Amino acid sequence: MRTDIYNYMLSRRAMLKGAAGAAAMAAVGGPALNVSTAFAQDDLRAAILRIPGVGKGQPTDADWQKVGEMTLGPTKQNVQEGEFKGVELSFMGLNNQNVHNVLFRGLSKAWADYTGATINWIDLAQADYNARLQQSIATGTVDFDVIEMGAPFEGDVCGKGLASEMPDWVAKQIDMDDYVGYLKAPVGTWDGKTYRVSCDGDCHNFNYRSDVFENAALAEEWKKAGGQGDWKAPRTWQDVNAATKFLKGKQIDGQDLYGYLDPAKGWGGFGFYFLGSRATAYVKHPDSKAFLFEQDTMKPMVNNPGWVRAIRDVLDCLPFEPADQLNADPGTTGFQQFLAGTGSMLSWWGDIGSNVNTNDSSVIQGKTAFDILPGSPDVYNHAAGKWETLASGPNYAPNMAYIGWGIYVMARVDSDPKKQKAAWSLAAHLGGKDISLWMAAYPSGFQPYRQSHFNIPEWVGAGYDEKFIANYLASQANSYNHPNAAIEPRIPGIFQYYSEAEDILSSIYAGKMTAQAGADAIAAAWEKRTDQLGRENQIKLYKKSLGM
Amino acid sequence: MNSVSTASGIEAVEQHVPPKRRRLGTLLIRGATLLLCAIAAVQLLYAMGYLSWGFANWQPVFIAYILWSAAFCSGLVLRDGEAGWRAVFVLPALFFTLALVIFPTFFGFYIAFSDWNLQSAGGRSFNGLDNLRQLIGDPYFWNALGNMVFYVATVTVQYAIAFGLAMLLNAGIKAQKFFRVAFLLPFMLSPVAVSWMIGKSMLEYRFGPVTNLLRELGWSQPTLLTSPWLAKTTIALMDAWVWIPFMMIMILAGLQALPKDVQEAAKVDGATGWQGFWQITFPLMLPVSVTTIVLRVIFQLKLADIVINTTAGGPGGATDTISSYIFRVYKDRSNVGYGTMIAEVYLILIIIFVALLLKFTSRYMQRAV
Repeated sequence: MRTDIYNYMLSRRAMLKGAAGAAAMAAVGGPALNVSTAFAQDDLRAAILRIPGVGKGQPTDADWQKVGEMTLGPTKQNVQEGEFKGVELSFMGLNNQNVHNVLFRGLSKAWADYTGATINWIDLAQADYNARLQQSIATGTVDFDVIEMGAPFEGDVCGKGLASEMPDWVAKQIDMDDYVGYLKAPVGTWDGKTYRVSCDGDCHNFNYRSDVFENAALAEEWKKAGGQGDWKAPRTWQDVNAATKFLKGKQIDGQDLYGYLDPAKGWGGFGFYFLGSRATAYVKHPDSKAFLFEQDTMKPMVNNPGWVRAIRDVLDCLPFEPADQLNADPGTTGFQQFLAGTGSMLSWWGDIGSNVNTNDSSVIQGKTAFDILPGSPDVYNHAAGKWETLASGPNYAPNMAYIGWGIYVMARVDSDPKKQKAAWSLAAHLGGKDISLWMAAYPSGFQPYRQSHFNIPEWVGAGYDEKFIANYLASQANSYNHPNAAIEPRIPGIFQYYSEAEDILSSIYAGKMTAQAGADAIAAAWEKRTDQLGRENQIKLYKKSLGM
Repeated sequence: MNSVSTASGIEAVEQHVPPKRRRLGTLLIRGATLLLCAIAAVQLLYAMGYLSWGFANWQPVFIAYILWSAAFCSGLVLRDGEAGWRAVFVLPALFFTLALVIFPTFFGFYIAFSDWNLQSAGGRSFNGLDNLRQLIGDPYFWNALGNMVFYVATVTVQYAIAFGLAMLLNAGIKAQKFFRVAFLLPFMLSPVAVSWMIGKSMLEYRFGPVTNLLRELGWSQPTLLTSPWLAKTTIALMDAWVWIPFMMIMILAGLQALPKDVQEAAKVDGATGWQGFWQITFPLMLPVSVTTIVLRVIFQLKLADIVINTTAGGPGGATDTISSYIFRVYKDRSNVGYGTMIAEVYLILIIIFVALLLKFTSRYMQRAV
């Protein structure tokens, strides 16, 4: 039913477009054809962004299928209809929050119908993803042809020759030059070869409740309580903790107020990123790319005074956060707390911004604003072993947590040229320029990652409020382009380090260990892990990932 | 065919097997054994690097084992006739257990004494007692083991509740059949479903109906899963809700098999309800009770699913179990060698514990009788 409505709308739009094109041709002659093509492209982007339209409910499978159908143009330029008939592809990815693979199914239906290929989906929960992938690699049972994978795993997969090298036609089809700077090589490459079609660009940004930090009554109370400076959105982690303590016990619109939300429960290793977001301003010095391990020895930096300060910040804040915070993992803080109106500050991936106005469970429409992660008045210089105050002011270091999802084709398809082309065509379709804009704008698990995603009028055309979207996109762009961005190392076993840390952090947050003792325990566990994984190899790959 | 009376009185049947058939049977057994040994030896030498050619994996050895099992059984029938047939009734189960229980357990020891991380650049290597030493000094293991003592101790409470419910159902109450099914429902549910339905939804701090009810009752912050002892108790309650029906149904079966005349005689002699229960029913039920408790303890020692889904072992390891810890070591850290060592040591501890439990209960029952 819904598809029929779209078809009707599209045919009407196509007719109007045709009329406009004819008028333009009549007015300016031949060259207007090019203008018309450009308009068609813009029109397509505008049309898909109106599916279903911001504020018109969460997209459904019919919407995904329609978007997939409308963005099939680049595929048609490289693939004949029915060219992959008989080809069967296995695609492994996530099914978190009913997005990722769930969404890919709808988006790739038209591709499968056109090319004749069939796709078998292997769905994994976020917490199971790492284990499933590692077991496949270690036991030589790679049973998938295409995988949705984050750049941190490139060392495990591309470094072991398990991925297929990207053909040139794919690079042209997806317009890789359009990627934001930090997603260009070396990300997605290994030993000079390109393996990845990006479909996401990850960074943690700072999400906060504008209604709370613009509230006059709270501003007055803040002043009365002797709060430092004006009542406004925090810009340093010290401000974050001060605001969190202040907000405890306050109310807005009859609802209890809370400040920052720390996820204190592990999430299969992914939870460590959230301590990282608190720590990068303290430990990512502008003079060095390293912030997790020393670059020449892989000696952990996680127990240096900067990281310990970040852990202490969490301990300092937790008593003022919701009472169940010790049992809250990142999924809870993002979707069950912040989007549902609990808490007024949160570090998360860009999903929060794209869900505020498009997720049916969100109650914070029109009450949210964004920025890059808070900074710190001083930064710990690990090499010099001392805290420094920078002449440029507070140190900011956006956390490029996970470096975004990408689509990778496995080397096992290389022996069959037809299958190989089919796999790459599917990857190129899902990582295409136009389809990616739609994914960035609606709940998908993916955030903006192309320069072309930062065209504000396109988002406004979809129904976004201009002030809101300009603010959101700025928080993303400013994180990606930040000169002191903290980019995690793409080394094998990185999630083992994170998982080990999560266990110990859980003990620290529960009061069983001090911050320093816990940080030392994490460092000791990481040292052991590096030895087990092979220190020399880890150092080599670490340096490579740092671009050294 | 001759019939021979044995000492036990069971009639054994001796069948005359022609020598040719006997030889064929022996040949089949020896040939199949030789083939299995040859294939296994080739693959072993290849895997150890002493041979330059071999199979890509161990699958052919497994297939050879299946063929050998079939050939061995056929050979026995050919060679020994009726006696061979009798053996064939047992051997498939034995070979199955050997392949899928005994061999993996011992192979597990082989892995347990190795440094094997799936992401390690160097692959697997023998590391002697390192994993054992690591386990002895591993606070997470001992913490989880301590939690297991608590979880196992709750079995006694579960047993008491299950006994009560079983007595109720055995007392001829109205709608007995309905209650039997209703009480069994939690046991029919997957613990994973229970952990999501109850742990993640009904006990959810903000919108869970149970937490909302607790708020209505005056508990302003019903954080059931964030303070260590409360979280541990909540997990134990969820687990009990799933498993009490299992104990109840076992006990109910025992109660229904009790001879009614003994209890009626006690009533005639003037025994009160409590005396009837404590001096007649309870002692008579001891064998069933012991079986029920031992089985339940074994299940309890494997508790993992509810913990993994509801608290991930937290807060600060307060709800962790050995199985959920193994799950993290193996799944999140791909640490196969150490994870297997924990599993093997835990298996030994369980065997010792259950053996002691059985011995203790058997002595207790002897004394009681």
